[in-house]
Amino acid sequence: MDRRRVQGPETSVVPFPLLDDAAPGVVAPPLQAGKRAGGRRPEDMRPIFLRTGLISQASGSAYIEMGRTKVACAVYGPRQIKKQQGFSEQGRLYCEFKFATFACKKRRNHQRDSQEKEFSQVIVQALTPSIRLEKLPKSVVDIYVTVVENDGTASCLAAAITAASTALADAGVEMIDLVAAASLAYQQRRPEGDAPTGENTREAGAADLVLAQMPSLGDVTHLLHRGPVDWAQMSRAVEQCIDVCAKIHAVMVHSLREHSAAEQ
Amino acid sequence: MTSPYAFSAETFKRVQPSEYYRKFLEQDVRPDGRAFSQFRKTILNAGCISTANGSAVVRIGDTTVVCGIKAEVAEPTLDQPAAGYFVPNVELGPLCSAKFRPGPPGDLAQVVSERLRKLSEEYIAFEELCIEPEQAAWVVYADLVCLNHDGNVLDACQLALLAALKNARLPEAQIGEDGIVRAGEAFTRAITIKRPILAATFGLYEGRSLLADPNASEEPLLDSLVTVCVDDAEHLHAVWKSNGGRCSLEQLQRCVELARIRFTELSALLESSAADQ
Repeated sequence: MDRRRVQGPETSVVPFPLLDDAAPGVVAPPLQAGKRAGGRRPEDMRPIFLRTGLISQASGSAYIEMGRTKVACAVYGPRQIKKQQGFSEQGRLYCEFKFATFACKKRRNHQRDSQEKEFSQVIVQALTPSIRLEKLPKSVVDIYVTVVENDGTASCLAAAITAASTALADAGVEMIDLVAAASLAYQQRRPEGDAPTGENTREAGAADLVLAQMPSLGDVTHLLHRGPVDWAQMSRAVEQCIDVCAKIHAVMVHSLREHSAAEQ
Repeated sequence: MTSPYAFSAETFKRVQPSEYYRKFLEQDVRPDGRAFSQFRKTILNAGCISTANGSAVVRIGDTTVVCGIKAEVAEPTLDQPAAGYFVPNVELGPLCSAKFRPGPPGDLAQVVSERLRKLSEEYIAFEELCIEPEQAAWVVYADLVCLNHDGNVLDACQLALLAALKNARLPEAQIGEDGIVRAGEAFTRAITIKRPILAATFGLYEGRSLLADPNASEEPLLDSLVTVCVDDAEHLHAVWKSNGGRCSLEQLQRCVELARIRFTELSALLESSAADQ
């Protein structure tokens, strides 16, 4: 039992809907004249709002919104590595990814679950190749990510990677390139970029992809694919994501420039 | 005579924070330009998170708190079969300040959560959260996530909590003959707040100066913090004074007066954010 928090009842549930036929899974409506809901083409992402330096206590920070997905990211460090973790000639990255308890349709626990731990790992792996860790011996850079609202889980992860890379740059950590990440979901086997919750349903055969890339160098640093698709669809999806990453990169550069101009 | 050492103001602040601070207070001003009894600019935005039943974001200066409310259903307790639950929890994670480490909530988070819970007993109508006595009741989870900790997190949390509760809507629920609770599609029921209670925090510096709304760089320099919670009828609901510093009766009275003025400001903010929706 957790004595450090205010306790509710042992178990609580979401009530059933009044009408039995109200199906929980909403299937994406078909394309209308080649456009999705909101007038987006299949490959379009949602508009991005990205702002750096909002968390004044952190060494660097970024806040990103993509549609209703809202992610806050703070970077602290470089800090001295703890003795127990041993000597390391190279610097290390540490990441904690957390959904706020109210961020998803179903309430999340305060403790991090396995999905949040996996996403933390993915963020570290996606960002590590971009950072000059040999410049930071015996140090650790901490990245903390909180999802305030989840509107598409794959898009949350992509937004988190983008925000974390921007926050690292804001903190002045030496990097060889920024890392931009894009996500897409396969709707009836057709890749559609940056899908919100309603479009990306969990029916059998659903598939999604998150791709992180260093746009200036053209190197893919991480690729996470889930679900059954064939190779032709996959390669089309990867190319689509790479195109989107270049656009996201422009947004990242713009917000970093704007912030550093405002500071001077 | 000029000193052989010349510090920039930024270095001086880091090396000798209390001396730096005293120099400002001697001139009757605080380092961020505020007067002693002045609160920082407060911004309130309610209903910004669609996955929650109710939500609010509060910024007091740089301190940012997000409150999200989620409602679920559970069996009432045996000793209060006709009452619902209200579970406020504050998350002061490592994201919001370098002072906090990953892991379970620290002392400050636990203290703030407990104070919010105590205050909530005064204004939550628990009996209205009951769906069917002895069988089902609403559990209102209110989780407050601090995104930026720049001091005075309690005031921000209480304001965010009230704004989110005002914003929250529950579906109409009923219990069927099979004992299963079903809820309608429309979120129509508001949560009753019997009386709004808001907090105002002050710091005492060297037993003399009374500073409203201390920020993160001021908090460690203060002898004590005084939090006063008042309602719309100007009744006191809680007064917390932390740390050991001395506080005279006149100072305490001044805190209460200022807290009442602060209450009118904040309740106007609450009204206007509710009117926006």
